[in-house]
Amino acid sequence: MGTVYITQDDAFIGKTDERLQVKAQKKTLLDVPMLKVEGVVVLGRATISPAALTELLERKIPLSFLTGTGRYLGRLEPPLTKNIFVRSAQWQAAGDSDKAIHVVRSFIRGKLKNYRSMFLRAQRENAALNLQAAITRLEQAIAPINATDTIDSLRGLEGAGSAAYFGGFDALIRADGFRFESRRRRPPTDPVNALLSFGYALLLHDIQSAVNIVGFDPYLGYLHTQRYGRPSLALDLMEEFRPLVVDAVVLATLNRRSLTLSDFTTEALSQAVSLSDEGRRTFLRLYEQKKQSKFKHPVLGTQCTYQEAFEIQARLLAKYLMGETQQYPPLVLK
Amino acid sequence: MNDYIPIAALNQYDYCPHRCWRMFCAGEFLDNQYTLEGTHLHERVHTVGDGYREEVWQVRAVWLKSERYGLIGKADLIEAHDGCWYPVEYKRSAKGEFDNDALQVCAQALCLEEMTGQPITQGFVYYAQSHQRQAIALNDELRQAAIATLAAVKTLLETGQMPPAIYSPRCRGCSLRQQCLPQAAPKVDRYQETH
Ligand code: SF4
Repeated sequence: MGTVYITQDDAFIGKTDERLQVKAQKKTLLDVPMLKVEGVVVLGRATISPAALTELLERKIPLSFLTGTGRYLGRLEPPLTKNIFVRSAQWQAAGDSDKAIHVVRSFIRGKLKNYRSMFLRAQRENAALNLQAAITRLEQAIAPINATDTIDSLRGLEGAGSAAYFGGFDALIRADGFRFESRRRRPPTDPVNALLSFGYALLLHDIQSAVNIVGFDPYLGYLHTQRYGRPSLALDLMEEFRPLVVDAVVLATLNRRSLTLSDFTTEALSQAVSLSDEGRRTFLRLYEQKKQSKFKHPVLGTQCTYQEAFEIQARLLAKYLMGETQQYPPLVLK
Repeated sequence: MNDYIPIAALNQYDYCPHRCWRMFCAGEFLDNQYTLEGTHLHERVHTVGDGYREEVWQVRAVWLKSERYGLIGKADLIEAHDGCWYPVEYKRSAKGEFDNDALQVCAQALCLEEMTGQPITQGFVYYAQSHQRQAIALNDELRQAAIATLAAVKTLLETGQMPPAIYSPRCRGCSLRQQCLPQAAPKVDRYQETH
């Protein structure tokens, strides 16, 4: 089952026996055993019964609140594990320590290598595409990572690599009417950016859950430093997953015509673009499918889903910070 | 940290020191398993009726404590026949390949000896799945093993220092495997990322 998304405005989330029920306008929208629920994400407005709330907390099921357009509002978090050792190792590595530099390199290398793989694959599948310039720029950003010793310079490489990637991203979209010029957030003003932002918000919910389960303090990051109220560590760990999960789903959704322009609306004043209710449900379904899809974990050599990989990577990060391993290997897929 | 060693930790330590660390130092276990209220021996020992069965006195869910060994824990069942006490440990499973239940019974007996002032010569493990009841002789060898494990656990709880996770056949039956990823460390160390 995985994550339950509640998109219907004014839905009522309740609990009967051991089941989570979602109702709206006197109709039951969802009725699933609590056992199968790994997370709940409310998009928009919903009411939740005290009994359901208590049950979610007791079962350590996180509940996130996003606006209808996917902007992150906050979440109800089950208590952190008592694993003080993980948090203490995390804090000891804070700042410009060798460990911090190592993991920042890994996060960035992971993300940029996955960017490069996407471009290489697209190019293999479509000989007419010429992404070579962007690939070269990505490689120029990847090559010096391991020899770069300050987090600020590493951030620079990350910026250069991302610019190269988003500069070529438009070429990956093969659906008429959809264009990507540059990354625009807060608010996204075109459908592609709207989907990316929405997807990243969903991913953040998932990675934050993984980071919490392992016992980390989500607010202490290495690449993303402590800024007021930002779940920095989750943002760090998210880097390698952005292309693998969100960008891949966005491209598949568009290129397979699962969404069309009519699924998006533009707000008059802010130019903010958002998805229709139906479009949102479609995208959520595809995102969830992606998370449950399996692949072979390159380090462990075993099959896992992306959902499981979020936690595996968080645990590998904990192992590195606690000195159990010599490196933190980001998830890099071909 | 309280000064008493939970009896259950001995059993876990014997199974895998890393598991014991995860459960009792890092707190990765379900609280309710160990915080359930038990009965104190003196509260129930004299209640006749509900526990009386064929000349055997039975008291369930008894808190045990030993000042001498700094142990605390709960026995599933304490029985008395002919004025002798016996701890009985319930296991939901059939008898496992790994014989660490004896240690737990022995630690319970150490407490019980101190609490009753009487020597205890044997205990039992009851395997619910196979309905088997196995007698455990509380001989010197077992007592020494329990005391040695107790010392190791004490050090572990005091220092909080993590014993390494070492992959072994026991991992297959370990409920913490998903958290522990016992095979990850050597694999990570050998891993070569593609260019
Ligand atoms: S998985 Fe293996 S190494 Fe890890 S705690 Fe369990 S028994 Fe110990």
